[in-house]
Amino acid sequence: MPEMQVDTSKTVEISNKKPGKPQSNFSRVLKYFLLRIVALIITVIIGVYIAILIANMGGAVDDIRKAQIREQIGMQMMGDPAFMEIPAERRRELMREMEEIEFRRLGLDTPFPIRSFIYLREALTLNLGRAERMTSDSGSRQVRLVILERLAPTMLLMVTSFLILFFGALFFALFLSRRYGSFLDKAVIALAPTSAAPAWFYGIFLILIFAAVLRVLPFGRMVTAPPPPDTFSYALSVLRHLILPVAAILSSAIFIVTYNWRTYFLIYSSDDYVEMAKAKGLTSGLIERRYVLRPTLPAIVTSFALSLITQWMGNITLELIFNWPGIGRLVFQAIGLYDSPVIIGTVVVYAYLLAITVFALDIIYAIIDPRVKVGAEEARR
Amino acid sequence: MTRNEKILEVKDLRLYFKTRYGAVQAVDDVGFSLGRGRSVVVVGESGCGKTSLSKAILRLLPSNVDTYKGQVFLNGTYVMKLSNERFRREVRWVKAALVPQAAMNALNPVIRIEDQIAEPLIIHERASSKEDALKKARDAFQKVGIPSAFLRRYPFELSGGMKQRSAIAMALVTNPDLVVLDEPTSALDLLTQANIMNVLKRIKKEFNLTYILITHDVATASEVSDDVAVMYAGQIVEFSDAERFFKNPLHPYSEKLMASVPTLKEKKTLGYIPGQPPSLFKPPTTCRFAERCEKRFEKCEEDPPTFNVENGRLVKCWLYEGDVKNEE
Repeated sequence: MPEMQVDTSKTVEISNKKPGKPQSNFSRVLKYFLLRIVALIITVIIGVYIAILIANMGGAVDDIRKAQIREQIGMQMMGDPAFMEIPAERRRELMREMEEIEFRRLGLDTPFPIRSFIYLREALTLNLGRAERMTSDSGSRQVRLVILERLAPTMLLMVTSFLILFFGALFFALFLSRRYGSFLDKAVIALAPTSAAPAWFYGIFLILIFAAVLRVLPFGRMVTAPPPPDTFSYALSVLRHLILPVAAILSSAIFIVTYNWRTYFLIYSSDDYVEMAKAKGLTSGLIERRYVLRPTLPAIVTSFALSLITQWMGNITLELIFNWPGIGRLVFQAIGLYDSPVIIGTVVVYAYLLAITVFALDIIYAIIDPRVKVGAEEARR
Repeated sequence: MTRNEKILEVKDLRLYFKTRYGAVQAVDDVGFSLGRGRSVVVVGESGCGKTSLSKAILRLLPSNVDTYKGQVFLNGTYVMKLSNERFRREVRWVKAALVPQAAMNALNPVIRIEDQIAEPLIIHERASSKEDALKKARDAFQKVGIPSAFLRRYPFELSGGMKQRSAIAMALVTNPDLVVLDEPTSALDLLTQANIMNVLKRIKKEFNLTYILITHDVATASEVSDDVAVMYAGQIVEFSDAERFFKNPLHPYSEKLMASVPTLKEKKTLGYIPGQPPSLFKPPTTCRFAERCEKRFEKCEEDPPTFNVENGRLVKCWLYEGDVKNEE
């Protein structure tokens, strides 16, 4: 993931051994962020454009749609007795005219390469147009509304599970690094390969156990039907429905992530400054926080960011399994219905979400690692 | 009351490590003492237990310790019997500080230098406020000759020599009774090494610092120490004042060690010692150096005790059995 790398090319002027010169940290941070934003915008543009090309099969979708329109008009004429009177020659001409009008209405007369850039502009400004077949729950055909309606549930599911995963794995990993070689440590290592199976795989088993057999948690959906009237019981119902999908995501990731981070902690806690901290007489809690966790955090944030990016996309099937009314399921439906405005729309929204995530992580990264702020002259040592 | 003058007294110190093949006797029955304001340099080849000795004195033990016993008195306190928590509060950095091997990595990369140097003052409540602690950190920085502007920096913005000096400043900040310097210059270039050694000399003179300097660089050791301890295979084989030691080393191993030091003025071929140090898993019951010693004789089949010869020089070799002054 190139976004997460620290750009080493730009800031080489560093550590000129002149003391007393206070470095303007602020302007450097600002410069760093501006560069990051530009890089991310370019990434989003390229990603969305590729999505447009693919969704239109490089223009081949135009031919399909044109053929569909021709067929439709032909059928229409065949079925209309008024046209039977007209001679075949004139009828063909009429047909051509109607096709032309329909093509122009849909913009199909402009060549695809030009149209692809118009699409790009529209997509990036979230002017996503009208869905061809799908409607939003409120009955609108606006792609933007169709997608935004599904965005909140996806965000709810993802953000909840990411937060639990991050902090859960962090403390679990710290705990294990303290008990290196213990039974629990070995158990986590042994369980790490279970993360090879995706979240939805565990979802199926969780549904089987907790919904089908034990009947303690719902099979799927986000709230009970009909939705509870007052806010409190509504939230409670959402919470109940959230448990299984979140548990599925956690069980597919927690062991590998913990294993990973515990190894980071072990590596970093063998650094000399940790022993120095001990010699200095710091309490073990302080050593762990200041001398193990803090220096390891940049590496952990990077690895977490990478896993976030795969998780965002991997959740299509999960939402399907749990009947979760989010973007993942929307994409699945849109693909089934060949609704390319919706497909492109979701890709655009995903691209923006990813860019925002990466940018947020960049900010966090710059805060926790002073070396990024001043420009990354060196990697760790 | 000799004990009061003695900052450090070590008796029968042993530190064994557990390994798959058995216990490694890294430090085996080591004893010496150090008066206030004196400095001792511990020399010996790699793997002879120099660093383990410093770890044993400072109780910086890895997780695979097999045996750790003996007596260590620091400024009159029997520190071996303190609990870990009391040791942390009462000894660490207050009585004994450390300048580690490869000080480049001794500083936390994500914390400002000043915070790291002031940290022990705050932990051990040696400063009334954070400002006071930072002021003392600035003073310590001045002692080692770094402009105080560098205090606001992060470790990666400093050169190797500066990091090393920062580590020394950190060790001085609480005015500990004893500082252990574990090969403080081995990762630096010659000029920087000389620089650090000069800093050390100056500090020793100005602040009457008591320290143990661990090094394999015998040449620089002669410059900065009052006493010399030679370690071989986990034991101190000779302990002597520097002046007499460098003129006339007693133990055959010390002689060989000195012969391997290059000098510019004399023309000589550098000496070396044939063979290798014995394995520390099961050290021989003979004199540990016997196998490589040119002067060995029948008596060397037995492990020699330490003889006190020439008024205060200690040597662990049968050759000097006859030289012992019968005091008692």
